[in-house]
Amino acid sequence: MVMAEEEESGVSIQLEFPKGRVKKIMALDKDVKRVSSEALFLVSRSTELFLQFLAEKSAQVAIEKKRKTVNLEHIREAVKRHQPTRDFLLDELPPPSQPTKPDRPTQPAGRPKLDPPPRGTRRIDLFFRKPELDDPAQAQPPENPAQAQPPENPDQDQAQSPVPVDES
Amino acid sequence: MEDESHNNTLPNGFNTGSPESPFLKTSTTTTQHNKEQDRFLPIANVGRIMKKVIPPNGKISKDAKETVQECVSEFISFVTGEASDKCQREKRKTINGDDVIWAITTLGFEDYVEPLKTYLQKYKEIEGEKLSIPKQMRSEQRLQQHHNNYHDQNNQPFNGAYASSNLISQPPYVPTDQKFSLTFSPNSIQSQLRQQDQIDSVGHWYE
Repeated sequence: MVMAEEEESGVSIQLEFPKGRVKKIMALDKDVKRVSSEALFLVSRSTELFLQFLAEKSAQVAIEKKRKTVNLEHIREAVKRHQPTRDFLLDELPPPSQPTKPDRPTQPAGRPKLDPPPRGTRRIDLFFRKPELDDPAQAQPPENPAQAQPPENPDQDQAQSPVPVDES
Repeated sequence: MEDESHNNTLPNGFNTGSPESPFLKTSTTTTQHNKEQDRFLPIANVGRIMKKVIPPNGKISKDAKETVQECVSEFISFVTGEASDKCQREKRKTINGDDVIWAITTLGFEDYVEPLKTYLQKYKEIEGEKLSIPKQMRSEQRLQQHHNNYHDQNNQPFNGAYASSNLISQPPYVPTDQKFSLTFSPNSIQSQLRQQDQIDSVGHWYE
């Protein structure tokens, strides 16, 4: 395995990600024939830089919204603010009402909220209208009031629209 | 019951790096989950790098980590696809370093180019050193990495080269230079290492 070392000096060339896994992900593209060790090294390093950038911007969004925990909504906002990242990632991000993976053993503790405000619903609609790939997801908003999901929806609703309860 | 327990065990198993074979034998769900995890970078690595960047008292939700996990995998595929297209246009079969740098520039991540070139230069230096060291001594070289990194953190890369040259030969430095020149073949790495030899000499004089 790869030895993980701190890069405070920025000089170490120890890779944070296992080369085999990076190579496997690169090989998912069937057009990719061979990859030199230099190219593999550069892709691994650039991925680290991208991850640091994404984490940094997401943390900034969380701070702006006065949150200590970085969540899905903060990542989406960070992606929106950077044009090159938005170009290839926005369509890949899961819609707000859907969890990334159906089975999750642990969920972050959030304030339970009784009724989602109509403003939140409108913003979700606006978000879905722009990309084409999100059209099938438009079926989700009507289901929100029908399906009561206290542990998930309140966090996302709170992240999207200010609520008087939070201010008081 | 068993299925649920296995589903609960899987994330922990992967996070702790347990062997995959026991899970492969259990169920189809496990196999699907295994393949899904194979498409992403390990979430432990992702989480560790994220924690370095966020404020000390900050936390990261699990679904945020998982989403970022997918984002970085998508980034790899994005860069790879662009570099691969360039190779095909030029009728080459192997993606090389220049293709990756070109792809990153084209996709709008110009800020990454300078750091990548810096890292690549250092990567070549170390690879060059590895080539000149007999294979039986490479394990010893790895043991010395901690020492080298200590010097690197003090912004003294030349001392690192000095330490590694110690592994190859005896204290007299003139024979060291000769041995280096005899081992090398003509290429850019040779010229780089020659510069290092000169710097080592200067360092030696100062010490």
